[in-house]
Amino acid sequence: MHVDLKKEVTHSSPGRFGIAAFAVIVLLALFAPLLAGYDPIAQSVHSFLAPSWSHPLGTNHVGQDIWGQLVYGARTSLLVGISVGLLSTLLAAIVGTSAALIGGVYDSIVMRVVDALIVIPIIIVLILVAAYLRPNMWTIIVLLSLLGWQGGARIVRAQALSLKEELHVAAARSFGAGTRYLMRRHIVPDLGPILLVEFVYTMRRAVFMEAGLAFIGISDPNLMSWGVIMREAMEYSYLNVWAWWLLPAGIALSLLIVSITFIGHSMEPVMDPRLRGEASA
Amino acid sequence: MRMLSKRNALTYAIALLLILSLNFILPRLMPGDPLMTIYGREALVQMSPQLQAELVHRFSLDQTLWQQLGAYFAALFRGDLGYSYYYNAPVFQVILGRLPWTLLLVGLSLALSTVLGVVLGIESGWRRGTRTDRSMLAGLMALNGFPDFFVGIVLLLVFGVILGVLPLAGAMTPYSGLSGGALVLDVLKHLALPVTSLTLAHLASGYLLTRNTMITVLKEPYMLTARAKGLSQRLLKYRHAGRNSMLPVVTMTGIWLGRLVTGTLFVEIVFSFPGLGYLTYEALLFRDYAVIQGVLLLVAVLVLAANFLVDLSYSRLDPRVSYAR
Amino acid sequence: MLSVRNLQVSYGSTHVLDGVDLDVEQGECLAIVGESGAGKTTLGLTIMRLVETEVRGEVLIDGVNVLALPEHSMQQVRWNKVSMVFQNANNALNPVHTVLDQVIEPMVEHSVRDKPDAREQAGALLARAGLPREKHNSYPHQLSGGEQQRVLIAMALANDPEIIILDEPVSSLDATSRAEVVALLKSMARDHTYILVTHDIATAARLADRVAVLYAGTILEMGSASDVLSRPRHPYTRALLRSYPNMTTVKDLQGVKGKMSRETAGCPFHPRCTQAIEACSTRQPVLTPSQGRHVACHRGGIITLLATENLRKSFGQRKAVDGVSLSIESGETLALVGESGSGKTTLAKTIMGLHPADGGEVYLEGQRVAVRDRDFYRQVQIVFQNPGESLSHRLSVLELVREPLDIQGIGTKEERERKAIRVIGEVELPTDEDFLHTYPHHLSGGEMQRVAIARALVLDPRLLIADEPTAFLDPSLQAKIMKLMLGLQEQRGLSMLFITHDIAVARKVSDRIAVMFDGKLVEEGQASVLTTAPVHPHTRTLVGGASDLHSAFHPT
Repeated sequence: MHVDLKKEVTHSSPGRFGIAAFAVIVLLALFAPLLAGYDPIAQSVHSFLAPSWSHPLGTNHVGQDIWGQLVYGARTSLLVGISVGLLSTLLAAIVGTSAALIGGVYDSIVMRVVDALIVIPIIIVLILVAAYLRPNMWTIIVLLSLLGWQGGARIVRAQALSLKEELHVAAARSFGAGTRYLMRRHIVPDLGPILLVEFVYTMRRAVFMEAGLAFIGISDPNLMSWGVIMREAMEYSYLNVWAWWLLPAGIALSLLIVSITFIGHSMEPVMDPRLRGEASA
Repeated sequence: MRMLSKRNALTYAIALLLILSLNFILPRLMPGDPLMTIYGREALVQMSPQLQAELVHRFSLDQTLWQQLGAYFAALFRGDLGYSYYYNAPVFQVILGRLPWTLLLVGLSLALSTVLGVVLGIESGWRRGTRTDRSMLAGLMALNGFPDFFVGIVLLLVFGVILGVLPLAGAMTPYSGLSGGALVLDVLKHLALPVTSLTLAHLASGYLLTRNTMITVLKEPYMLTARAKGLSQRLLKYRHAGRNSMLPVVTMTGIWLGRLVTGTLFVEIVFSFPGLGYLTYEALLFRDYAVIQGVLLLVAVLVLAANFLVDLSYSRLDPRVSYAR
Repeated sequence: MLSVRNLQVSYGSTHVLDGVDLDVEQGECLAIVGESGAGKTTLGLTIMRLVETEVRGEVLIDGVNVLALPEHSMQQVRWNKVSMVFQNANNALNPVHTVLDQVIEPMVEHSVRDKPDAREQAGALLARAGLPREKHNSYPHQLSGGEQQRVLIAMALANDPEIIILDEPVSSLDATSRAEVVALLKSMARDHTYILVTHDIATAARLADRVAVLYAGTILEMGSASDVLSRPRHPYTRALLRSYPNMTTVKDLQGVKGKMSRETAGCPFHPRCTQAIEACSTRQPVLTPSQGRHVACHRGGIITLLATENLRKSFGQRKAVDGVSLSIESGETLALVGESGSGKTTLAKTIMGLHPADGGEVYLEGQRVAVRDRDFYRQVQIVFQNPGESLSHRLSVLELVREPLDIQGIGTKEERERKAIRVIGEVELPTDEDFLHTYPHHLSGGEMQRVAIARALVLDPRLLIADEPTAFLDPSLQAKIMKLMLGLQEQRGLSMLFITHDIAVARKVSDRIAVMFDGKLVEEGQASVLTTAPVHPHTRTLVGGASDLHSAFHPT
């Protein structure tokens, strides 16, 4: 499977849109201190201000600058998304390849656990654990990673299994190649694109879950999050402040998830070459 | 008819075991008196000493861990999931009261999103590469990106706040004394927005899967056979390609159900809809731990049961499955 | 019944079909044969209008051009007038419906019968196609490949169409099921009109009345199956038959040199053809009737390269060659077999003009050879029996091979040297300086013979006369030289007159064998026929005396 990922992504218009939108949000997050103007945590007496030049999105019920909260929220989303993406993908890669390469009882037990984790409603587990632990950002990242690798492990295993059977690997074996050589020259390079797609999708799920958990009140109290903004704004939905308080955070969150979806989808031909040339059209 | 395969039975057993051990071990890992860690500080303050003593006795909380485990399972068998201090009632009873609302919401949205998704997927895949297909694909993928609770919020703002045509919260108008047809209409009105949010948010999964399968199925030689037979487009699309494209969707419904639970949780919170999701939210707010544990266990059992049913129906849809195993 | 007129199908710039014309009569079976990629399947699909690309020309079914029909009318033509038995390599049947339902479907959907009636008819058809009743409600994956093929056949018969297209109906089956399905198809043959698309010549021979040979989207030869498949007239047909393994061909398998290309102007086969002339690369030949069949060739089919007419040569009273008339087609190997003293070598030398003939004529490409000038020798070359004598000891390997070029004065010295070195490589000899400057007496017998062959080939002749080229070699070297010569024939499209006393050798290398006895040709025929059923007593003696390990161990 030799696919040029870059080409797949940049040759589809949703892919290009995804990259562009994602880049904008990354820039917002990187330059948050410059863009914010106010400390997003700092409260003031000026509550419920309408948008103005000094407060582009007005202020909230405790007088915090909403624009500042929004750009700092991007940091949290991306940080959680990328960390969980990396950790889960790493877990998926380790579990998936080891199951495929070792096989036997180990493989069947691991895969049954994977199947079990796939059917368990993860969100309630998270809520339960969070209720007991009262988590900060890092515990949220670890929890989301621990509960987010199972789908990827299944895909990685399937791919590694078929790779193991493939003729170029068999050929390398017939020249006397050892396991390490096989991993380095044949398995890992071929798994690479799949892991990248898996990373993109776990990142997407993590961004969504982080916001969702914050929305229902499970979040790091010291960090700004789009979910928190939305929860607080929801309580005042009867006031006409939602247009600049609630919607921007929701749109930003949706834009981030949509952009990641588009990037991931445009990479999908990597997973299923049969879709090539049609899905990305 | 195929019986439950060994493999799936093992999966369900492991899933159940994971949940049970989580429910049992997690609170007991916390430092402090077991009664307090299981029920939380807030709960203890409000419980009468008699109730506290009763609970300690019922779950052998003053005994060794092994005896606690025995008592835990014995209670499970009786359907005793503990006591909710906030609702002042057994957890099982509290959950049972909320369950129908969630089942209604999840059932309706799952059915709607699956049927709509499959039909859209078949139509879009049939027109693969055309402008219609491309715009449907982009549109539904974008929709897929919107978190369900944000979809709910937007619908709530548009139809509830701005237009004021649909109720903002709840599952029916309280103290209205409605009955019969009027009651059904009232419930449907309350259901409209939550169901729409969930359906919209989950439409894309069924659509994308069906469309992708459709594209590969259309290239199968048997499609050429069907065309050569001079069949009408409708038959080609639905009887020959569609039926085959639906198969993976059926396998996925079980898994989607688990995901839909997440969505339901958020959407119920947005619309203050009195189902299990909202119950969980309230329990989280008031630190009513026993309720969260009960919901987790019950929802897990329901999702597993649904998966089991899907497993059974799959062999009827795809003759190759029952034969192969 | 069915007529195809100037049918052209292209995918982008690739012409898959390039002007196909054919007619199929009622009740007839026409086989379309050719290599994969020739456009056979496309032709079948285009008749049913199932290709989604640019199609030009006409497909007339009962006088109606189906290519011009609106889609809904076309749906009525499909299966009612034309149906198809698909190749069952994978999934020609829908996996989620029972086979019975799939046979019923076209009858019900085209309102040919109502549901119960259709069910009965489908059961009857499946039974007739040899699928036992208890399997009618099976799903495709529960049936074997042969059974699935039977379902596809029953399905094709469902709406009693006039024309049935069989697309590789047995290619995916093992030998036993293949024989059964062919027998089934044969038993139905007269009820419908068939178009059989296949690369399997044996199936075509079993089922077809007529055969059309398709190459790169063009029909190159068309005629009755027995004629075309036993006596091909187009060089491509012969090449196709030569490369097809079967139980009757005795010569070693030979492929066709080069590979199929659609980008050529003129005749699509000319880059691989052994007898191409200038016109072949500029104009596309038309399929023209000739001697009871149709051939598309500027040369009118396989040409006769060399012919002798009543050739005579005596040495004193002894008539060494006594009125020999033989002909060698282009690209063909004719083995001339006879005992020593039968006049074989004299015949060869007389053809070459090394002995003046006492009477009779030699024709090269139909032209009487009056004088043997340089031009004649550029086209006809000979390799002698004993290389040790035919190679001058005063010349090095390079000089030996270059000599004919020097004599003919072709090109500059460097060009000649390069050409010589290339040909030396072609006969699988080393081309390093050391070897090139070796003298013949340092070479082994096999190497000397290779040098002799290289020398004969350096002028790119079209006919090579090989006079017992392996007589002086041990058996393993003999086998190598024979393989080399077969390979050279495939690469260069050489015609060969292979002279040998050993009929077993002749059988392995030749298409035809001529037996010479006392200066006369006593029997001549296809190698396989002549060696298995010899007629002339002398031929029988030769065959009886040939090496035969089997009869040595199992005397009858």
